[in-house]
Parts: sequence; structure tokens; C-alpha cells
Amino acid sequence: MIEFDDVGLRYGYGPEILRDLSFRISPGSFHFLTGPSGAGKTSLLRLLLLSLKPSRGRIEMFGENVSALARDRLLEMRRHIGIVFQDFRLLGHLTTFENVALPLRVRGQPLEEYRANVAELLEWVGLGDQMNVHPELLSGGEKQRAAIARAVIAKPDLLLADEPTGNVDPELSDRLLRLFVELNRMGTTIIVATHELGFLKRFNFPRLSLNEGRLVSDA
Amino acid sequence: MLEGLLTGQSAGFQIVPEKSVAGRTLMMLVSIMTFLSCVTFGGVVLVQQSAVAWSADVGREVTIQIRPIEGQVMDSNLRVAIELAEATEGVSRAYALSDEEGEALLEPWLGEVDLSGLEVPRLVVVQLSDPARADFATLASHLAEAVPGATLDTHALWRQQINAMAGTVVVAGLLVLALILIATALAVVFATRGTMASNREIVDVLHFIGASNRFIAAEFQGRFLSIGLKGGAIGGVGAIVFFLAAGFVTGTVLPDPSATQLTILFDRFLPGFGGLLGLVALVLVIAVLTAATSRLTVYRFLTRIAP
Repeated sequence: MIEFDDVGLRYGYGPEILRDLSFRISPGSFHFLTGPSGAGKTSLLRLLLLSLKPSRGRIEMFGENVSALARDRLLEMRRHIGIVFQDFRLLGHLTTFENVALPLRVRGQPLEEYRANVAELLEWVGLGDQMNVHPELLSGGEKQRAAIARAVIAKPDLLLADEPTGNVDPELSDRLLRLFVELNRMGTTIIVATHELGFLKRFNFPRLSLNEGRLVSDA
Repeated sequence: MLEGLLTGQSAGFQIVPEKSVAGRTLMMLVSIMTFLSCVTFGGVVLVQQSAVAWSADVGREVTIQIRPIEGQVMDSNLRVAIELAEATEGVSRAYALSDEEGEALLEPWLGEVDLSGLEVPRLVVVQLSDPARADFATLASHLAEAVPGATLDTHALWRQQINAMAGTVVVAGLLVLALILIATALAVVFATRGTMASNREIVDVLHFIGASNRFIAAEFQGRFLSIGLKGGAIGGVGAIVFFLAAGFVTGTVLPDPSATQLTILFDRFLPGFGGLLGLVALVLVIAVLTAATSRLTVYRFLTRIAP
């Protein structure tokens, strides 16, 4: 599903942030992306989200060489990907329901088609009674669950999550991780960027470990 | 409802926030520009309509002026002039103005003075049934032969001057209108850039969840078309109210002589049914201009930022 071959990334004329990355991620797998702050985790996630192009090397995703794709095609390919941002990125003027339904609205589905699905998913993540509430009234954990629901509502092939448990208490972060595991069992490929060693030990999934922009182990 | 249709609300919900400072500013701007455009357009229509009416009024009459000449009998000359005029093709009727009517014409320039001691030229008014067929050259030559001191005034020079004046005003008005529309488009570009910058977070999130530039542009364009239509309608209604108020002021508030002058010049100070249709068309043009300009600006913005 994803193949990096000797990929490097630099911003403008600056030094390389990511160097010599070569790895392969199979469909339906679950990976942790780890490393200290500044190691390049977020940059690697941006490459995987197709919001950056590599400075060198080759990236193949969903059977296409994304380094050579036109901009419009990249935007189309993003529909295969769900993303959970560390800072949620929920739109403040939309309700929880509308935020979660956004990917389906973008795909041109009419409200009647997705209303029940969105409501069901919100119930599943424990936000059934917060559907018509705006994000400013949600707690950190509720926002995180809404962001996750938005990322998975369109049944993406790949789910990327950037420090998804960084803003919530240990009990909730454990629940959120179990939610990702459940999604993975349903067939979604998942890459979770985290620096919480507790998770890494408890959930024995392969890791992509970065240090100073290089892949230091691929367990 | 209109906005819902324009912004795709029927597909679920409105992605671009309905109320924002940039949106209100843009609507105010479009309202003001539409008002200025409509007043300019209405003014041009008024001048043009009035010039056509003046020219047509004057064109339906010509005048024969007979100077008193020693040894000539004025009444006899008047009769001959009337007969010659009425015998000319395209003339429906000719009649001489009385001494009193002639003095009344001079009164605005000379005041109330006794003109009985002066030898004032007499006028014969020639009304035309068909100005296009009237043979002025033949009438002028017959008058020159049969009526000493008679001259024919077709008002051609005056009509030419009034048409030139009206044409100049119309061209100047249309130029002003074009400049206002260009200024509107430029202001919309700046306002759109401001709106897009203030909605950058929405654009980024839409990009991240796979929205195409076309989808995002359509969402914003619906919003801008709605702003253009609302702003245009406010400005257009404001301009119509302005013309109605101006008509009311000329009819009731201004002292009689001033009102009379304005009424003579501009009739009821309203641009008429055709003019009103023009104002509605102008509102639509400004709404479409706003939407088209903003769409172009949104596209440029979207292609400039990283996906």
C-alpha cells in the first residue's frame, strides 16, 4: 500500500529534515511512528498525507507514484486517507455532526444518505448527545473523538493520527487507542505518531522510529 | 432560501460561515457601488430621454420670422407666409402669433415693458405633420420670393447643439459607470482575498479531507454571489428611492419656478420603465461581476497555497 524508496525532504534551501527513508507498509497493518521531538514525525505524516512532495526519492501509495502526480490528482487521492490532527482542526462554526459529516459532504453525498451513518458513528464514539454542540463546548477528549470520527466516517484505506492522545487523560487515551485497534480490525491501515512509551509496550505493533530525520529501526 | 441554493445548503449544511466581518464589509461595498452605478445610469437615462424629448418637440415645429419693412403691410405678409407654409408638404397647420403672444416671449429677457412703440418682428408657427417629409428648402425659397423680410428658422443648429450636449453627457456618464464597475471589481478582489485569508483554516481542513479546488471555489462563490445579489439589491433599491425622493422634492418642496424648470428639463425626474429595467439589469450585472471576480480570486488563492 505504501512504499518509500530512499526518500529525502527539505524545506526550501534548508537542511534535509528527512533522509534516506525506505520502508514498506502493508494494507491492513498498524504502525506506531515514534521518535523524539524534532525527529521529523510530523513531516513524515505530511508526506503520507500528500501535503508535501519529497525533495528526492520515490513514494508509492495506493499503486501510484505520488511524487509525479498532478495537484488535482493528489487532492483526489486524499479521499483514501483519514487524518487526526494533534490540535483536532474542527471547524468552530459547525456542529459536531457537521464536522464529522464534512468528508461525506465534500464527496457530494446528500444529507439523507449520510445522516444515519454519522449519527451511528457519533453514538459509537460516545458523542451521541453532543451532535448539535459546537466544538467550543466540547472537552479535549470529546474534540479528539470528534476528530477521529471525522477521520474515519468516509471509511478511509489509511488512517493517520498525529499524537492523538496528547491532549487527554490516560484513561481516555487508552480508550482512543482501543478505538484505533478496532478500526484496524475492520481493515483500515493505521499509522499513529506517538511518543508515549506505555502504549508502545502495551500494544505490540511494528514501529517506525525516527531520529534526526532517519529511520533508526523498523521493528 | 436563496443563499441555501447558492451555497449548496440543500446538500446538508453551509460550510462557509454565513456571517463574517469580511462578508459584511463586502456587502456594504457592493451596496454603495451599486447605488453609485444606478444613480449614474439613471442620470444618463434621464438626460438622454430628455434630450430626445426636447429634440422631438422642437423638431415638430419651425418658425417663420417676418421683420417689419417700411412700405410692407405686415398683416398681408403674415397671410401670404401662412398660405405658403400650409401649401408645403409635411405641414399640418400654420398660424401667426399675436402681438401679445410675441411680447410674452420677449418678457423673460426684457421684463414687463411696453413694446407698442417698437417694431418687433412677427412670428408664424408652422406645425409639421411629418418632419421627415417637410420640404424646408422650397418653403424658404418661396418665402424669399413672396415675403420681404421673412426668414425660416428650422431650429437645426439648436437641435444639433442639444444632441451634442446630450451625447457628451451620456458618454461621460457611461465612462463613469465603467470606472465604477472596474473599481467594484478591484474592491471585490481585495475583499475576497481578505475573506479567504480569514477563512484559511476552513480551506486547509477542506483540502486535508480531500475537497477539490472546484468544490471549495463553488462553496465560496455561492457565498459571494449571495453577497453580490443582496448588496446589489440594497444599492438598487436605494437608487430607486433616491429618484422617487428627488421627484417628490421637485414636485412639492422646491419653490414653483425651480420645480417648473426641473419638470421642463426632466419631466417627473424618473428614468421611466425602460430605465427601471436597466437598473435591475445593472444590479444583476454587479452581482454576477462580484461572483465572477471572487471566483477568479478564490481560484488564484487556492492554486497559490499548498494543498
